[in-house]
Amino acid sequence: MTETPNYDGKFDAIVVGAGLAGSAAALSMAKRGLSPLVIERGTSPGTKNVFGGVLYTPTIRELVDLDDAPLERYVAEKRFSMLSEADETALSLRPGEWHDEPHNDSFTVLRGEFDEWFAERAVDAGATLLTETTVTGLLRENGRIVGVGTDRPDGRIRAPYVVLAEGGNSLVTERADLKERESRDHVAVAVKEVLEFPAREGVIEDRFRLTDDAGAAYNYFGEGAVGEAFGGGFLYTNDDTVSVGVAYRLSDAAASGQRPEETLNRFKSHPAVAPLVRDARTVEYSAKTIPEGGIESVPDLVHDGAVLVGDTAGLVLNNGVHLEGTNMAVESGVHAGAAIATAARQGRTDAAALSGYPSALSRSFVVENLERYAWLQEAAVADRELLFAELPRAVADAGAEYFRMDRDSKERHADRARERLLDAVGGYTGAAKLAARYRKVIA
Amino acid sequence: MHDFTVVVGVKQVPDADEVGLDPDTGRLDRASAPAVMNPPDRCALEAALSLKDAHAARVIAVTMGPPMATPVLREAVAMGCDDGVLITDRAFAGSDTWPTSLTLARVAEHLDADVVLCGEETTDSSTGQVPPGIAAHNGWAQLTYVEALDLRPEEGRVVAHRDVEGGYEVVAADLPVVVAVAFGSFEPRPAGLHRKLFAETEFDPRELSAADLGIEEEVGLAVSPTSVGGMETVQPVDRQGEVVDEVDDLLGPIREAVA
Repeated sequence: MTETPNYDGKFDAIVVGAGLAGSAAALSMAKRGLSPLVIERGTSPGTKNVFGGVLYTPTIRELVDLDDAPLERYVAEKRFSMLSEADETALSLRPGEWHDEPHNDSFTVLRGEFDEWFAERAVDAGATLLTETTVTGLLRENGRIVGVGTDRPDGRIRAPYVVLAEGGNSLVTERADLKERESRDHVAVAVKEVLEFPAREGVIEDRFRLTDDAGAAYNYFGEGAVGEAFGGGFLYTNDDTVSVGVAYRLSDAAASGQRPEETLNRFKSHPAVAPLVRDARTVEYSAKTIPEGGIESVPDLVHDGAVLVGDTAGLVLNNGVHLEGTNMAVESGVHAGAAIATAARQGRTDAAALSGYPSALSRSFVVENLERYAWLQEAAVADRELLFAELPRAVADAGAEYFRMDRDSKERHADRARERLLDAVGGYTGAAKLAARYRKVIA
Repeated sequence: MHDFTVVVGVKQVPDADEVGLDPDTGRLDRASAPAVMNPPDRCALEAALSLKDAHAARVIAVTMGPPMATPVLREAVAMGCDDGVLITDRAFAGSDTWPTSLTLARVAEHLDADVVLCGEETTDSSTGQVPPGIAAHNGWAQLTYVEALDLRPEEGRVVAHRDVEGGYEVVAADLPVVVAVAFGSFEPRPAGLHRKLFAETEFDPRELSAADLGIEEEVGLAVSPTSVGGMETVQPVDRQGEVVDEVDDLLGPIREAVA
């Protein structure tokens, strides 16, 4: 056989996973003159990657030219909806400025296309991409991480740094004891379908009141969305498909035996949702786990020879109003790549030499936002019955009372509406406490 | 040094798993399918590499196509082939199985092949004519639907198991020989990590043109005897479906149907 070169030490870093965090780290390193090797288990980047559907691009925009990116639609409407079994109460926002560039840096994308494109940008910048190869473990020498093992014959390869960007289900990182297995309370299970509407053109534009590239992001919570669980549903418009899904705590799924596909089907048949997905054909079905432990669950980000980024590092924000992960994944990848470049210049691999990454991250919006909402998950879980079951019903009932059309006075209608609301939250005192507890969500 | 040269023909085809029927028109949608190596060719590569495991052989993968087809050669080199040859020329455009097998026959001579291995057929045209065509053009022996292969250098021949109805037959052929490997009989090996990196980042195939092989006038659409008589699209039949809740409810309709 023609000689096979040995690639040990030929690359400056090995990136495990070509998702958004991994490709951002590779781009960040390549732009600083390093040559990273990205190892991806899928046949192409993105085939194994799942998310709800909205990509936030403030950091990506600084890395690449988004004009050529496979974006589906910009988010022109955000809609928050409370569902009980039979009611919907919703708030819709359509600020005019979202129609203008850069569209609030919020776009729906399909990961199979976007991630492949984004990884290609890293390759253009000097990274090497190897697909259909699964990293199975880390190589250690005197406590230092010096490379990875893969599922291929002759499958070990060494490099000074390893970037762990393997996603939420981070088996390599956990196996190497760089991270504890997350408790079921802090992991959400998410299922999603991509739907198309074969009957005719323009169904999405008509149903969601859209023109051109404008799109909609609908978020739902309450019992009508995910039943007796802590979580929510979503509906996002792509170019000619719609992404619809639910996400809720793994512990709820386990405790109630509530199966993800049943939960999704129930959500799709809710009276407020069914007309939006009528006559659709499912073209894709996917599932994933989301780390929702917040800042408390973020593991040590740097080790001798390795860094953790994106979902692997637990960098996901879900406070009910903001559902973010992709922007944090990219931000973490960029800072990790920069820190590796700095350490490489000093010829060091130790955690102290890589500390530029965690300190840059804690100065960034990523850690600031995670810390701000650290209290929220626990409070909302404790108040689940009130927030997810009683409040959606009470708000709907109060609305029905307030607008009731009979021969009673408006004052009586308003009184009854107020009573219904106060009854649900425990009087004025209860309402005040509730407002105080959750004011930081939006304030 | 190697004593034998094994040439393996590989072809890039649309991924059959991704070639779907357009549900609205009922037509084949092959344009959106990614290009992959013809799956039976992977078995031929494995057969070639298993010869190399046992003997001092040199294995060269060859493919005919535009430079776009290079990834199948990289894949072959990643699996363990020593070299890859891209036979590429505008003159080949429109060639059917006759000029294609003539070209591959000339390449086999050019590379001084002792054994030529091919998949039994390609998934995008399924004629199975090319391997016998190569043998016919060169006047070499041919073994088709081969399940097992034993190279006997001292005898100057190979002994093969051929898949035949109801079992297999054991046949010997003198070298040089063209072997079409039965699909599914040689489980392709995974590429080694470092070899795959080499194949994808550093390896570049050798190129051969029609002129290099001296066959400019003997290839292309004009000399291809195949002509397509016509195509007919069959409309799918509407199927009736009914969901029943109880097994017993199924019995009535079945009785009716068989009555």
